[in-house]
Amino acid sequence: MNTTSWITFVTDRLPELWLRTGEHLMLTGCATILALLIGMPLGILVFKNTWLRGPTLAAVGILQTIPSLAMLVFLLAILQKIGVLPAIIALTLYALLPIVRNTFAGLSGVSPQVMEAAKGIGMTSGQRLRLVRLPLATPVIVAGIRTAAVVSVGIATLSAFIGAGGLGQFINRGLALYNTRLILLGAVPAALLALLVDFSIGAFEWGLRPQRKQEESGSGKAFLRRAALFMPLLLIALAFLSYFTQPSAGFRSPTLSATGRITVATKNFTEQLILGELMAQMLETHTDLRVNRRFNLGGTMICHGALVNGEIDLYAEYTGTGLTVILKDPVISDPEAALKHVTDAYRRHFDAQWLEPFGFNNTYAITVRAEDAERYGWRTISDLKEAAPTLRAGFTAEFAERPDGYPGLREAYGFGFGDIRDLDPSLMYEAVSKGEVDVICAFATDGRIAAYHLMPLRDDRRFFPPYHAAPVVRGEILEHYPEVKESLFRLKGVLDDKTMQRLNFEVDGKKRNVARVAGEFLREKGLIQ
Amino acid sequence: MFASRRKPLAPSLSKSPMIKLSNVSKTFDRGKTHAVRDLSFRVEEGETVVLLGSSGCGKTTTLKMINRLIEPSNGRIEVGGEDVQRQDPADLRRRIGYVFQGIGLFPHMTIEQNVEIVPRLLGWSARERRERVFQLLDLVGLPPEDYAHRFSQALSGGQQQRVGVARALAADPAYLLMDEPFGALDALTREALQQELLALKRRLDKTIIFVTHDIFEALLLGDRIVILHEGNVEQIGTKDEIFSSPATAFVQELFGKPAKQLADFRDILK
Repeated sequence: MNTTSWITFVTDRLPELWLRTGEHLMLTGCATILALLIGMPLGILVFKNTWLRGPTLAAVGILQTIPSLAMLVFLLAILQKIGVLPAIIALTLYALLPIVRNTFAGLSGVSPQVMEAAKGIGMTSGQRLRLVRLPLATPVIVAGIRTAAVVSVGIATLSAFIGAGGLGQFINRGLALYNTRLILLGAVPAALLALLVDFSIGAFEWGLRPQRKQEESGSGKAFLRRAALFMPLLLIALAFLSYFTQPSAGFRSPTLSATGRITVATKNFTEQLILGELMAQMLETHTDLRVNRRFNLGGTMICHGALVNGEIDLYAEYTGTGLTVILKDPVISDPEAALKHVTDAYRRHFDAQWLEPFGFNNTYAITVRAEDAERYGWRTISDLKEAAPTLRAGFTAEFAERPDGYPGLREAYGFGFGDIRDLDPSLMYEAVSKGEVDVICAFATDGRIAAYHLMPLRDDRRFFPPYHAAPVVRGEILEHYPEVKESLFRLKGVLDDKTMQRLNFEVDGKKRNVARVAGEFLREKGLIQ
Repeated sequence: MFASRRKPLAPSLSKSPMIKLSNVSKTFDRGKTHAVRDLSFRVEEGETVVLLGSSGCGKTTTLKMINRLIEPSNGRIEVGGEDVQRQDPADLRRRIGYVFQGIGLFPHMTIEQNVEIVPRLLGWSARERRERVFQLLDLVGLPPEDYAHRFSQALSGGQQQRVGVARALAADPAYLLMDEPFGALDALTREALQQELLALKRRLDKTIIFVTHDIFEALLLGDRIVILHEGNVEQIGTKDEIFSSPATAFVQELFGKPAKQLADFRDILK
């Protein structure tokens, strides 16, 4: 990649980078301050009450060992809410340990001689804590805050998975699009931010040392001391500035339909982003609504949950997914019948409407390397039966668990694979082409099937249900804005399997911008000017 | 910041500056080990009493019981004519200057802040405190303009202990408890500080209890000496009384030893 393309790549995204940095700092700042407000009193309490010590330190220690992604998804499930709130709670819980532990360690580390002197000259127990123990523990406590803040910056990158924004959003999108530059656009600023936070709190601690107060006022050092003390404040100010100077930030309060805004969401893979972009551009062209994009929200359950809660207004869902994952109903092989079933059920249970499908059927396709298929004469899934125990399969986490995924497949065909590995959808294709796995659960419309010389095997037992994609919209939205239905109706049947493969490849293979690819297609079809 | 805005010193209590211990014992291990056994003595106004004994004899324990850093198991301690058990510990301690064995200056405070801490707790105004600090630093031989703003780490051991003495004197207490204040200092510094304390004592008219294991220090500073051994009182008296009629074999040996050492030393010099 040459330098100029890098420069334009970054300058194009500068406004969003500014916004995401602000979101990131906000998340980190709020969580660290909350953790400080909870953690320091807790540390003092634990110091004063010996019997609380073991259980409390163990509890905050265990919190720390929970994998961050698991914690985020867990909170998401409990709160029934995506976005900033679960993210801040998760970050706060992680930040607690260093603060509680360092507060306790700092307080216990004060020399007993000094404490006896404090008592001996007549300080009350409150004065001993306030005037002697806390000031002497301050460097250790601040070191804890520093650790907490730096850890928060790192973990905050994961909160993009649950729609809380931040620099993780670039990383997420980069992973979904298999785009290294996007990943770096999130990762490098996040790393720099961590260094900046570390430096500013370090400077604060330096400025706080009692020895610094000796510096004569007016001297350069005295100025430096005051400047150092203001560093964290400056950082928070920066967060506010970048957060509130952005006109349409993605993660502020959920959009209300009454405000004339509509929120389009997508799951976390390329095709979804393209569909999201197609729908968004159609709505922008053919209605007066302001479109808010909350792309890359997460997996099926996250999108569905957000739709039901009214945090998003529409996203593209697949009939087979709606049937088996959301409704937990048995597979229906007939595409028409499947669509009718989900339409009825969604209207009844979720007050949501399935609109006309886009046309293509993105069903799962058990896929192998073309050269292997040729060498061993594999044409159908049943052909794999003999080799299966020696084959390594790479499946998406969803496929590995879904009833219409691997568990059902094993039952329908009567065999399983030797080794199953969870792979991110974006990494699956490369993994099989490089020989790291032998079998993957490709999506039938993925452009990388052709690009990586892969061979989808025929589903000879007709196990996989049809996966026709269609917009799913909240009923309330359709009531308020009938024009939404009209404009999305124009997308009916415009994408067959081959076309979808091509669009996917434009983005995945050629690394082109999703919005541009979607716009070109719509113009080509005469759907927008 | 400080809740108790009382007058600098409670005058009603300073009218009879006297410390009195009656049958005081301190036991550990549920009464099995005696740190101090049945100790009684009296310190008159303006008098300096030295508690003399080797380490573990109970002298520091005795001192700490007077300002309630340690509570006695038995007996009664009076300060200013009133039972210490009936006085608020923090109030009591603010009325008694205490010089600690390990100095115990606050490392996060300047010398000035260290010295003014008790007046601050007592609610003196900033101006009064500053005046007092300067006066005291002059008194202990640390020019305030050079030392007030420094931190204790930047001071030598002898200078730190001068600050410790200044801090103990800050609120002009009637009583001074000194726990081996010069124990960790080199011989020259110790001797200088002993002489200064002697001079201070004459000027300030304090009631002092001074703990030491050093016989020469005891003889130099003490108006009377209480000799302790394994928690028991061996003898109480002026140095002349003790020299002329040592009460026990222990006392005789204790005071005999330096004389013998001196004789040995003279032999070497010959």
